[in-house]
Amino acid sequence: MSERYLRHPDLRLADVEGDGVVLHLGTRRYFSVSESGLALLQALESPCTVSELVTVLLERYEVTPEQAEESVLQFLETCRTADLLAPEAGG
Amino acid sequence: MTAPSGITVRCPDPAVRVALEAWLAGLRLSVQARLLLDVVVSDQEPEPLGQALFEQPEMRFGLGPQGRGLRVVWDHATALAELPAGATMASVRLSPGAVARLDRCTRTFLLAVVILLLRRVGWYHLHAATAIDPGGQGWLFTGNAHVGKSTTAALLATSGWQIGTDDAAFLERVADRILVHTAHAPIALREGGRRLLAKAGGIVLPDRGKVGFWPEDLGAVWTPLVSPDIVIFPTVGRTRTTAQPIARAEAIAELVRWSAWVMLESDLAQAHLDVLTQLAGQARCYRVTLGRDLFARPNRLIELVT
Repeated sequence: MSERYLRHPDLRLADVEGDGVVLHLGTRRYFSVSESGLALLQALESPCTVSELVTVLLERYEVTPEQAEESVLQFLETCRTADLLAPEAGG
Repeated sequence: MTAPSGITVRCPDPAVRVALEAWLAGLRLSVQARLLLDVVVSDQEPEPLGQALFEQPEMRFGLGPQGRGLRVVWDHATALAELPAGATMASVRLSPGAVARLDRCTRTFLLAVVILLLRRVGWYHLHAATAIDPGGQGWLFTGNAHVGKSTTAALLATSGWQIGTDDAAFLERVADRILVHTAHAPIALREGGRRLLAKAGGIVLPDRGKVGFWPEDLGAVWTPLVSPDIVIFPTVGRTRTTAQPIARAEAIAELVRWSAWVMLESDLAQAHLDVLTQLAGQARCYRVTLGRDLFARPNRLIELVT
């Protein structure tokens, strides 16, 4: 759980009232993300642990710590698949 | 000499310099910043581009020397442009073959170079037609080359609307609004569009397979500036014209598609994306299927979004 994550430096974010749009300049793809996904990507501008990301969700939403952790882990897996995390993150 | 557009051409070949200045003056772009095209004519082969970051028909875009700035190569006839990182000037090398095709060279390669320079001073290119309706609302129609932008612009030009462009728009943040600048250029219609409009005459554009009509020749006033209130993502349909409002995030994703330069030069990308985001918030955004009924009632577009 001490592993730290960082978003890919090629990402650019647009914050759109409850939703977000993400550009990946490296892959030249773009995505829509939910409000919570955008909040996590904004937090990942600096290296974050899973527990720090869980705190981001707990501060915004009425969810249990277990639900927040499950959401964070799923989100990080989605980010890995879409190459949205910095390759050197971790440790 | 600085052209009225604010874009200076420096070139030791007077004939080329005069031709390029005339081209820039004809675009009537009212950019305030000072940009420079430093042009030489040379038959020296350009250095290999390396991996292309981005490609368009006839053109490839890659990183400049030492991985900084941009390099643009025109393949139709050899030409090369280098834009040092952060600079508002481009060093352009035209082969004699490119000079022999200067009309095509300006319309494709050099226009792309100008688009990249304008981006560095806060003008962000979007494939879009622009218009102002008789009630004063600003309209922007964005999409690829086959979605009816030009035919719609020509139709509206005949119906009391002011027209800016049918293709190349430049977004700029001015105070708290996104404004759209346009170049003065003919509306380029394919044969189908021309037939639907029942228009004779026009300027034959042989290498594009189109016929051009100046907005003024269609009865419109040309407008160099539009403040968009409505953004349309059109497609061509066969039945009645319909309009469907779309969410802001969806509109941003569409604007990114048609403003593809957003992906180039990472230090400019966030500001570019912010302008697209603001535009999608400033304007009401619709997907519109353009039907044949518009030819009888062009102002039905206004009714559909009111």
